[in-house]
Amino acid sequence: MGTVLATGNQAAGQVLAMAGEANRSARGCGGGAYPITPQTEIAEYLTGHQFAKGSFVTAESEHSAMAVCIGASVMGARSFTASSSNGLLYMTENVFAAGYCRLPLVMVVCNRTIGPPWNIWVDQGDSLAMRDSAWLQFYCESHQDLVDTILLSFRVAEDERVLLPAMVAQDGFLISHTAMRVDIPEQGEVDRYLPALRLPQRLRPDHPVLYGSITLPRETENHRRDLEAAMAQVPIVLAEAIDEFESVFGRRPHGAFSAEQTADADAVLVASSTMSRTARRVVERRRARGEKIGLVGAKLFRPFLRPELVGAIGSAKRVAVLDRNLSPGSGGIFWNEVAVSLRQRADVVLQGYLMGLGGGDVTDGHVEAALDDLLGLAESGEPVFFPARVA
Amino acid sequence: MIELVIHGRGGRGGVTLAKLIAGAYFGLGQHAQAFGVYGAERTGAPVQAFVRIDDCEITVHNAITAPDHLIILEPSLVAPELAATMSPEGWIIVNTPQSARDLAKFLPGRNVATVDANAIAVAKHLGSAALPIVNTTMLGAIARVLGIEFAAVEAALTGAGFVGGNLVAAQEAYARVITETEPGTAVTIRLPVLPPPVGFLDARVGSMPTTRTGAWASRRPHAHELRPLCSEGCPAGNDVRGFLQAASAGDYDRALAIILDTSPFPGTCGRVCPAPCMSACNRKELDDAVDVRDIERAVADRGLWPAASAADGRPSVAIVGSGPAGLSAAYHLARLGHPVTVFEAGDEAGGVLRTGIPEYRLPRSVLDSEIEFITAHGVDIRLGRIIDRAALEDLSRDYAAVFVATGLQERRSLELHGDSSGIVGQSLEFLAAARDGGPDLTGQTIAVVGGGNTAIDAARTALRLGADEVRVAYRRTRAEMPAIAEEIEEAAEEGVLFEELLSPVGFVSGDGGPRLVCRRMRLAGPDESGRPRPVPTNGGDAVRELRCDRLLLALGQGSDLSILPDGAAAGPLPVTLGDTGGSVFLGGDLVGGEGTVTAAIGSGRRAALAIHEALAEGSDPVSADGAHGDAALAGAEVMHLHSFSPVSREAVSLLPAEARRTTFAEVRQGLTGAPGHDAAQAEAGRCLACGMCTGCDTCVVYCPEGVLHRADGQPPDFDYEYCKGCGLCVAECPRGVVFTEAI
Repeated sequence: MGTVLATGNQAAGQVLAMAGEANRSARGCGGGAYPITPQTEIAEYLTGHQFAKGSFVTAESEHSAMAVCIGASVMGARSFTASSSNGLLYMTENVFAAGYCRLPLVMVVCNRTIGPPWNIWVDQGDSLAMRDSAWLQFYCESHQDLVDTILLSFRVAEDERVLLPAMVAQDGFLISHTAMRVDIPEQGEVDRYLPALRLPQRLRPDHPVLYGSITLPRETENHRRDLEAAMAQVPIVLAEAIDEFESVFGRRPHGAFSAEQTADADAVLVASSTMSRTARRVVERRRARGEKIGLVGAKLFRPFLRPELVGAIGSAKRVAVLDRNLSPGSGGIFWNEVAVSLRQRADVVLQGYLMGLGGGDVTDGHVEAALDDLLGLAESGEPVFFPARVA
Repeated sequence: MIELVIHGRGGRGGVTLAKLIAGAYFGLGQHAQAFGVYGAERTGAPVQAFVRIDDCEITVHNAITAPDHLIILEPSLVAPELAATMSPEGWIIVNTPQSARDLAKFLPGRNVATVDANAIAVAKHLGSAALPIVNTTMLGAIARVLGIEFAAVEAALTGAGFVGGNLVAAQEAYARVITETEPGTAVTIRLPVLPPPVGFLDARVGSMPTTRTGAWASRRPHAHELRPLCSEGCPAGNDVRGFLQAASAGDYDRALAIILDTSPFPGTCGRVCPAPCMSACNRKELDDAVDVRDIERAVADRGLWPAASAADGRPSVAIVGSGPAGLSAAYHLARLGHPVTVFEAGDEAGGVLRTGIPEYRLPRSVLDSEIEFITAHGVDIRLGRIIDRAALEDLSRDYAAVFVATGLQERRSLELHGDSSGIVGQSLEFLAAARDGGPDLTGQTIAVVGGGNTAIDAARTALRLGADEVRVAYRRTRAEMPAIAEEIEEAAEEGVLFEELLSPVGFVSGDGGPRLVCRRMRLAGPDESGRPRPVPTNGGDAVRELRCDRLLLALGQGSDLSILPDGAAAGPLPVTLGDTGGSVFLGGDLVGGEGTVTAAIGSGRRAALAIHEALAEGSDPVSADGAHGDAALAGAEVMHLHSFSPVSREAVSLLPAEARRTTFAEVRQGLTGAPGHDAAQAEAGRCLACGMCTGCDTCVVYCPEGVLHRADGQPPDFDYEYCKGCGLCVAECPRGVVFTEAI
């Protein structure tokens, strides 16, 4: 399609539709959504789109929207939706159902603060609350990353070694409502990248089976082991999907973690979503001053690929994790994962920084100050709100 | 990188402007970023939008705090502190009618560019006059100042689906933007750095979302004009709100035409009407009622009286009595095409207007010119023609219909003990005599009994005829007097004494002459009319005596029905005269009613319409309904009076009280105003226009969804596809025009 000026929502809607169209030679596509700021424009785009095979509907609630997706998916259609914040929470029961039923649908989440108190701005707490739902989770740092990751996520989710749904998160407003330059692929390229969906457990009227029924502890544990085994396949499948992406689209999105200037770094910043871009500017500025600082951009949160993260951090002795989310009583959720990943690295000073909660502006200055704080620490500490006081 | 901050108001297209600016630079091969501040801000609140332009990838997602350029979409948002953190080389581009030079004084040391985007946008019908949408217009000005060719603007606008007026407005602003220094020098960009882009992904930038949120609504707003209390309260049926609005616009000709639709007596009513419209006026809940009476007078004085044309060949009608009811009926019948002959017993036309209202309240010239206006419609007034029962039978043979409006010819009197011979007279006869010079009352003490306008008129006339002392005795208090409050006030100023709670019972003779014996009264619970009932007091001071050389009675009048066949009831239905078969209609005070000039005018009009309809045999019905049909009333409870600020009533000039006592010159001079100040127009401007859409656009401003639109001169229009029925428009409409109904 070429280079356009588009908001994140416009780009996401367009690419979801292309992914749906790409399955027109198979069982088409289907999905449903319910409007909620800042996601609404995605659902609006999709409900207004005339699909060659399939349709997208406005449901009467998020819970029903996911039920529509589950229904479409289980019949072999490529299915997708979008949601945010409390809408996503309302959808939760069926979010887990889709994950536990191993239905490879894709949901774009425009990260928005959970209320009350009500707040429409970005905070990753909504999608991270779904972290145990057996969905893959990707956090995108830019418009282009969003477009590319939506395509990647279909490819990984639908791989028969994985067969798990995928959540693709973008920062509400910072990406969803900001118009920027972005390259949208051609439909032909998407057709090539996303082959026909083949769902092994697809329902067939002429071949009835009982599906999702009661199981005893032994079968249930086996189901959980299967989920974990599927998650374990993700690094392999993702790596293949990135290679294939590059061959089709001519550019190479990064994988679970970007390791940027970490090879010789003394200190590393771990960040996700648009905060990665802010951290990258800080790293570049510090490098220009001769400081050995690196960045790990965390894109894939589920599965959390601990060995990959440890490898990306390399030999750095100081690690700062920037979290725009809070698990009350436990600190930043990315920090928790990084801390577990580094459990065998007693030599690392690890510090979590909680920033920009509820959509607060995270500036270069904030990140610089967090980095300075990290460089002055004698030992790891509990996560801290940063800056210490909100202006 | 170039950073711009746009200051605008929520819901007015600021974010769309950001996207269009980004689009223009994007089309030139630049990287661009556009975003708004989103939140719970209501429509109309000050909000910002941001644009970044760069020749390399933009990775910043923060708000812009130190912009290169400022765009200000509304003059009211200009504030020097906005410029505090901006680049000193940057431009401040403002939508304002001010020149850049003038505005620069307010923003010292800044590069200022101005354009009157409101004027351009309104001319291109972008938004409404009260709420122009200037984003596309401003794009042209911004492009010119920042040194972009108009072709890039055109590409951005068409790419985003803005065509027609938007494009022309942008072009006009591009040409008309004013700067103090040479524009286009502050910014340079390297072109092009990127391959040509496709354009906007979504060619509907700024258009409505596709989710039909109207389906969520449980209620829907509607706009509906309500009947104002003033017009509703006018016994003559005048469209009071209508003529006030016209006067408020300074259009006295239109105001007069509106009154003349229902009444030929604006100059008279503008002087003597008790103005129930003013008692009903919602404005009195806020400060004081609008001075409708004096405005009506100003309209009569200043409006252009239209040329009258004589009646055409409809059936002719006879009218008995040339008082306000008779002449009103004659006027309306003539306007409906009926030749009319009026029979008046007296030697001048006008009835009680002529004989019962003193010159100092209603100058003869005013009444004469209004009667002339009526006769100019082909009304023939025959004076000195007393119509008795036999003559009425003749009329009913000679004319297609007869209207009898002889008023109240029976005077109510009073049983008084003692010798009252030569002392007691009727106020109305006294007033009629006063018109011709009247008796000399020098040195006399006069008592008037009654509380209506006739009593006050008699008292004030007596003063002017030289009376030493004039007392008005009333059995209730001044507060209960039915006379016009201002008249009572003026009488008191002139020296009339008010004796409250007195009821005359007889005369005794005293040293200085006859003395009127009065019973003292007190007020008890309400009577059938709702007023407090006067009852005699007992005890030592139960009686009061007043010196009284002459007692004038003003106790009201009764109907004289002797003209009618025996047993004919005085009512609104036509009476059929036995052997003639002719229809006789009755009206005015003869059939009862309020006894005011205005009520008589209304009665005459309704009779005229009924007669016309009867004579047309139903083929040409004319509605007698008021100007506003049967719409709901715009009472104070549906108005949002908090939306209005108190404004003092315009002063009416009066002759000084001392001067008045000796002359019959008109007391009230009307809304004369200071030189250069049109007091009547200003007073009409106090009209709240209750229940009427004035195009104030408050609803449009407050609609949080932007689903409310208003074309010039029209009430608002609601887009039910999107309206969620929140009801803010209902809560904010100052005049109760917008309301919701359950779906």
